[in-house]
This record gives sequence, C-alpha cells and structure tokens, in this order.
Amino acid sequence: MDDVLIAPDIDYLAVAPMIIVGVTAVVGVLVEAFAPRRPRRGIQLVLTFGALIAAFVVLISQAGTRVITGSLAIDGPSLVLQGLILLIAIVSAMLMAERRVDPAGDAFSPRASALPGSEEERVLSTRGFMQTEVWPLMLFAVVGMMLFTAANDLLVMFIALEIMSLPLYLLAGMSRRRRLLSQEAALKYFILGAFSSAFFIFGAAMLYGFSGTISLPGIADALSANPGQTPLIFIGFGLVVIGLLFKVGAVPFHQWVPDVYQGSPSAVTAFMAAAVKVAAFGALLRFLYVAFGGARWDWQPALWIIAIATMLVGSILAITQTDIKRMLAYSSIAQAGFILVGVIAVNPEGVAAVMFYLAAYGFATLGAFAVISLVRQDGGEATHLSNWAGLGKRSPVLALSMSLFMLSFAGIPLTSGFIGKFTVFEAAILADAVPLVIVGVIASIIAAFFYVRVIVLMFFTEPAEVGPTVVLPSVFTTLVLAISVAVTVILGVFPQPVLDLVEQANVFLR
Amino acid sequence: MTEIGTGEAIVFWVCAVLSVTGALGLILSRRTVHSALWLALTMISLAVLYIANAAPFLGMVQIIVYTGAVMMLFLFVLMVVGVDSADSLVETLRGQRVAAILLAVGFGVLLTAGLGSALSGIPMAGLDAANAEYGGNVEGIARLLFSDYIIAFEIVAALLITAALGALVLTHRERWRPKLTQADLMRQRIASGAPGPLPTPGVFARHNAVDTPALLPDGTLAEQSVPAPLRARGDLRPVDIGAVEETRALTEGEAVFGPTVTPVADDPGASPGERS
Amino acid sequence: MNPENYIILSGLLFTIGALGVMIRRNAIVVFMSIELMLNAANLAFVSFARINGTLDGQVVAFFVMIVAAAEVVVGLAIIVTIFRTRRSASIDEPNLLKY
Repeated sequence: MDDVLIAPDIDYLAVAPMIIVGVTAVVGVLVEAFAPRRPRRGIQLVLTFGALIAAFVVLISQAGTRVITGSLAIDGPSLVLQGLILLIAIVSAMLMAERRVDPAGDAFSPRASALPGSEEERVLSTRGFMQTEVWPLMLFAVVGMMLFTAANDLLVMFIALEIMSLPLYLLAGMSRRRRLLSQEAALKYFILGAFSSAFFIFGAAMLYGFSGTISLPGIADALSANPGQTPLIFIGFGLVVIGLLFKVGAVPFHQWVPDVYQGSPSAVTAFMAAAVKVAAFGALLRFLYVAFGGARWDWQPALWIIAIATMLVGSILAITQTDIKRMLAYSSIAQAGFILVGVIAVNPEGVAAVMFYLAAYGFATLGAFAVISLVRQDGGEATHLSNWAGLGKRSPVLALSMSLFMLSFAGIPLTSGFIGKFTVFEAAILADAVPLVIVGVIASIIAAFFYVRVIVLMFFTEPAEVGPTVVLPSVFTTLVLAISVAVTVILGVFPQPVLDLVEQANVFLR
Repeated sequence: MTEIGTGEAIVFWVCAVLSVTGALGLILSRRTVHSALWLALTMISLAVLYIANAAPFLGMVQIIVYTGAVMMLFLFVLMVVGVDSADSLVETLRGQRVAAILLAVGFGVLLTAGLGSALSGIPMAGLDAANAEYGGNVEGIARLLFSDYIIAFEIVAALLITAALGALVLTHRERWRPKLTQADLMRQRIASGAPGPLPTPGVFARHNAVDTPALLPDGTLAEQSVPAPLRARGDLRPVDIGAVEETRALTEGEAVFGPTVTPVADDPGASPGERS
Repeated sequence: MNPENYIILSGLLFTIGALGVMIRRNAIVVFMSIELMLNAANLAFVSFARINGTLDGQVVAFFVMIVAAAEVVVGLAIIVTIFRTRRSASIDEPNLLKY
C-alpha cells in the first residue's frame, strides 16, 4: 500500500486531565508491584491526591474550551461535570484515607482475598496491613467517569461505562467490617451492572444499524435525514436509555441501589452515590441532547413516566426503612427523579439546573456518609436508625451537620438543595412540564417527612442505654465534614457564582 | 448491492438452529458444566456466521478469544467451584419464573417483530468494497482502529489493567508468614512431643477399623490414633470396658485366648454415627 | 434469504440470554447468559456492518469482545471470592441483604 496512515489528530491539552489521572493510576499499579509494603500507603496517597488536584488545576486552565477531539467532546457541560467529579473524588479520597475511625485501620479489608473470619485475616489486621490497591482502582474509576461525561460516540461511552463500573464492583466488595454483606453487594452490583451494559450495547447496535454510525452527532444527522419512525430507533433508544438509567438508579432499574449502598464501605458508597450520578447524568444528558435532541417529542413522555415513578417510589419506600444507609439509598433514588425532571426539560436551563443539582446533592451526600462512618458500635458502623436516637446530646456538632445535610436533601431554603430543586423546577416550567413539577413538589413533601424524622430522632428522642459511640476522626474526615457543610451552606446562601458558571457552560457541542 | 447466495443461506440456517439450540441449552441445563458447553456451541456457530458475514478476522477472534479463552476461564472456575454444582429449580419468589418467561416472550416478540418490520427488504451494501479498500478485512479494521477509534483503543488499556488488578486483589494471597524450611519443620515436630509417626488405630483393641482408638498399655485410649477429621466429628468408637479388661487379662497371663472365653458383645457392624 | 434474518437471530439470542438472567439462580449461569447477550449484540454489529457497507460495526464488535473479556475476569473473581466464603454459587443464597 502506498497511502500512509494519517496520524489521528488529538488535542492532548483538552484531554490532559483524564491523561493525568489515568497515567497516575498506572503508576499506582507499578508502585503496588515494586514498592516495599511500609511506604506504599503514603506513596499512594501522595499520588492520588496529587493527580486529582493536578487534573483539576489543568481542567480550570481549560475553561472555555470547546473542541471535539477524536471520540471525545470537551465542551461546557463536560468540563463542569469533570471538574465536579474531580472535586467529589478528592473529598471521597479523604474519606477513604481515614484510618483513625476504625481502630483496626482504614475502611477496607486488610486483604480482600483472605477468607472472612480466618486466622489470616485476623493476623493481617492486627499487623496493620492495608489493601493499598484501592487507590489505583479508585483513580481508574475516576478516569472512567470523566470519559463517560465526554464520550461523543456510543463505543467510547460503553467502554467508559465499564472503566467506571469495574473498579466500583471491586471496591464495593472490599469492606473491612461485615464482609459477607459487602461481597454480596459486589456480586449483586456486578450481575445487574453487566446485565444493564448488555442492554446498552445491544441498543447501540440497533442505532448503528439505523444510522450507519455510532457517533452521537452522526445519529442526530441520520435522524433528521430520515424523519420517518422505524422500530429500530425505538428499540435502540430504549435499550441504551435503560443502560444509562440503571447507572442513575431510576425506577424501575433501581433494585441494586439499596443493597449496594448498604453493603459497600461507607467511603465507597459516598463516592458511588455522588460521583457515579454525576457521570451517568452527564452521559444521559449528552445522549439525549446531542443524539436525540431533535426527536424530543418522541421520548419525553416515556421519561416523564420514569421521572414521576422514580420520585414517588424513592420517597415512599424511604419512609419504611430502618437502616440509615438504606434510607439514604432510597433518598438517592428520589433525588435521581428530581434530577430527571431537569433532564426532561431539554433546554439550556435544564442542563444548568441538572449540573447545579448534582453539585449540591453530591456534597451533601459525601457529608452524610462521613457522619455515618463516625457513629459506631462494636467496631462497625451503627447504621440502624434506633442507634441514632439522642445523637444530638452526645455530639451536637455532628448531629447539627447531619441535620444540615438532611435539610438540604429535603430542599429547605438556605441550603443548597433548595436552590437545586428550585432551578430544576424552574427549567421544567420553562419547558411547560407543569404536571411534572407538581408531582415533584408532592414527592418533596413526602421526602421531607423522613429527612425530618432523622432530625427529630437525633434531637428530641432520649438516647438508648447502650448507644453507639461517636468516634473522633482524624483531619481527613474532619475536612470532609467541613467542606460538605461549607458547600451546602454557600450554595444555599450565595449560589450566584456557581449558577453563573453552570449557565455559561450549558450548551453541548455538536 | 450484494445478494445472499444459496450457499450462505444454508450455512445461516444450520448455524442459526445450532446457536439457538445452544442458547436454549445454556438456560435450560440443570448442570452448570452442560450450560457452559452449550454456550461454547453457540459461540462457535456465531463465529461461522461472522465469517459468512464478511468478517473473517472477527470470526477467528471469536473462536480464539471467546471459545478459547473466555469459555475456558468459565470452565476453569467451574472446576474450582465444583463440577457437580447443580442449580436447584425451586423458586424463591413464587411466580417469578412465570413472570420472567412472560416478560421475555413479550419482549422477544416485540423485538423480533419490530426488527423484522423495520428491516424487511433492506438493501445490503455489502463489505466487498470496504474490505478491498486497504487490501483486506484485517487491514481495514487495523486502519480504523488506529485512526477513528484511537481513543477507544487507548482507553481499553485502563479496562484491562483494572481487570488484572481486580483479579489479583480478590484472589491472590501473598504469603504472610515466613516460609518454613525443613529444619523448621523438624524442630516443630520435635517440639510437638510426638516426633515419630502417630499410633495406628485399633492395635490393642478388638477392632482394626480406623475409628477405633488404640489402647495404651495402661488401658487408656490413645485418641491420637484416630484420624483428626473423625475426632473432630466426634466419631470415636467407644471401647467396651469388658473388652479392655479381657485384653488386660490376656496380656498379663490371667486368661488364655480360647473358645471358653465369651466374646464381648461389640457389634462390629454398627457404624459410629448410629451410636452417638 | 434476506439480511434481516441475521438481525432477527441476534434479537432471539439476546432475548434468550435475558430470560436466562431472569430465571437462573446460579451466578455462573447468569453470567454466561449475559455473555450470550453480548454475543448477540456482536452478531447485530457484524451484520449491520455488512448491511451498511462500513467496517465500523466490526471494529465495535472487536471492542465489545475486549470489554467482555475484562468483565469476565472481574466477574469470575468476584464469584470465586463469594464461593470461597460461602461454598455456594447461588445468587439467592447470599441473602443477608433483603429485597
């Protein structure tokens, strides 16, 4: 052949944040292989925080970039969401780095391959062994999430989905306490996650069959060139959206959420709840707006039903829960419903509202799980709601911050959650989706009931005789709490700078 | 436009029947190993269909990677888990299976009917031109792989590293205590107080079954003579006091072994489980 | 014969795989059913590549195989871990988490 292969043109500066995190993850794997055991944890912490902060700094220097490079689109929404993912990752890494709360070490099993309850596990635990592979795994998950928000074709979206999910399946099963529960959560998460990604890729195949391309703008072009409806589009669209809604945790694809949130170590749950939602909504928004923005009248009714079901089912089932982690899991389902309201609006205001809501929800969630990791009994976490009775008397600061997060989830004014709900509903009203807003308000009122119940439990109930102890954390968790409280208050009282930011960055590049 | 010839039609129908049979076998076999073998059948038929579909490279990859590597990994794990593992067919959620079958049949009818109506009479562009453009199917795929799909190609590395790391984390067990040398083993043995082989069971008693403890010269039981698993289960055959007394008498010359001595009723047929 | 037969076959295999996920309880069989679904998607990609006359579908199918291989490694590692703990590969038996 005389024609040479032309080297693909990639804007390496625009994708630099992802490269930094990805390369550091690989370096982290090499550290695991070659560094002696003692200093490994220190090296991994420096690498992880260094990479995440460096990536964030580079990302800020990219502000205003709008470029499609290869299969990635770096535009306003992807930059904002990637920045948010990095911030959430930094805060959850702090939560994962905490080692004073559990007397035996950090939140992860000393060795995931040791049998639960075996002598090996006990000896390794007393010798202070830690599974430092969690750090490279976490960085890989972050790379996957960042790619997921920027993926401009269905193949990269699928691979990013897997890069994001595989480390999370593993991390979910590596808890130090209640390991059987944790392993079971990993299995459930894995089976249902693989099931949903099979739906995604089959849907992608149908869309490829219809349009002859897998790039999202290409699909949009094919749709406008052949406006006739063919079952191929419906099947393909439906299956791809099922795959994405599963990651979001929308009803009826929500069954995995409570089990996985309850079984995973709290630090991982916080990371999963906050960051996976950001990434998955980023991908869902891009898929719906870029590829199917022109065909919105066809898909909006279906998503209306899902959004309404998600808000109501999440809120109502949360009331019946007795375990605080399960309750927060159902609450996260309900929150996914509120965010879907913004997605359905299909206008720039909707994109901005979704991004703001994700930021508000993400940090409140991180804070709430940080609090949960501090309330302990017999070495493990005391997650049963009855254990939380009278916490306000034992530890007023902790109880007050938990109340703040609950109020933010409930959407009470002066918290970030209120501004989030307000912007989302505003965008929906602009899109003439008034019934959706009415259901949203009703669901918020139902949801407020169980959030307030936690507050009442903490402040107005007598503590049990043998209650849990509140552990004094090291600087890591203290920082997490401080940051979450600060973000929740600042986004609630002075939201304007952030609102301006998301409003400038609310248009997808096609 | 290319047309599908009769030869390909025959290949299609044979492989289609085989692959559906394999798929049904996968979900209907009671034993996991059979399921795996049925799935291998489906995968090989699919490889033939890929080759028929102008994708010789993928056909080979399907056989090498899927049937060769992935299915072998499945079978390997089945060996670890136990080949005999059979699925219980009892439902945990009542009616769940019926509901699932109805759901799947509905979904399948909708899917195939939709696809059939969407695609009936669709013209086929054929891949002859695309395959010939760069001199062959493999060259064409390579060119796309390293140009249009370069990002996907690069990020797949992250996926493979994650997979390897994950498998290591969950299954690799590093040695956590120093390896014992032969000298260590010897010292351990001396320190244990029983440097020689353990006493054989039943030597001084009336039985030579392994669950019968040997009798020490003073008439006490040598529990060590019974294999540890039996001891742990509590399957020690109790020794009849009369038999012990008789043995003592025999060894001390107070009695002679002969027909005059009534054998002690020690039912040799009873299994240890029945006694406890 | 028409090219759509290939796609209908792939839809059929996909449905059988989904049914297997729903009715079987052995984690390994469930996982193999998911692999069947991915294979069905690959058949659709390969056939559509021929119908559309572009090689993109074959490249995607190639990537799906890679992803599936990675997924198999992680999935089987999780299943083996659970099995070592519980001596069972049923996905119903681990039921500390309620539904």
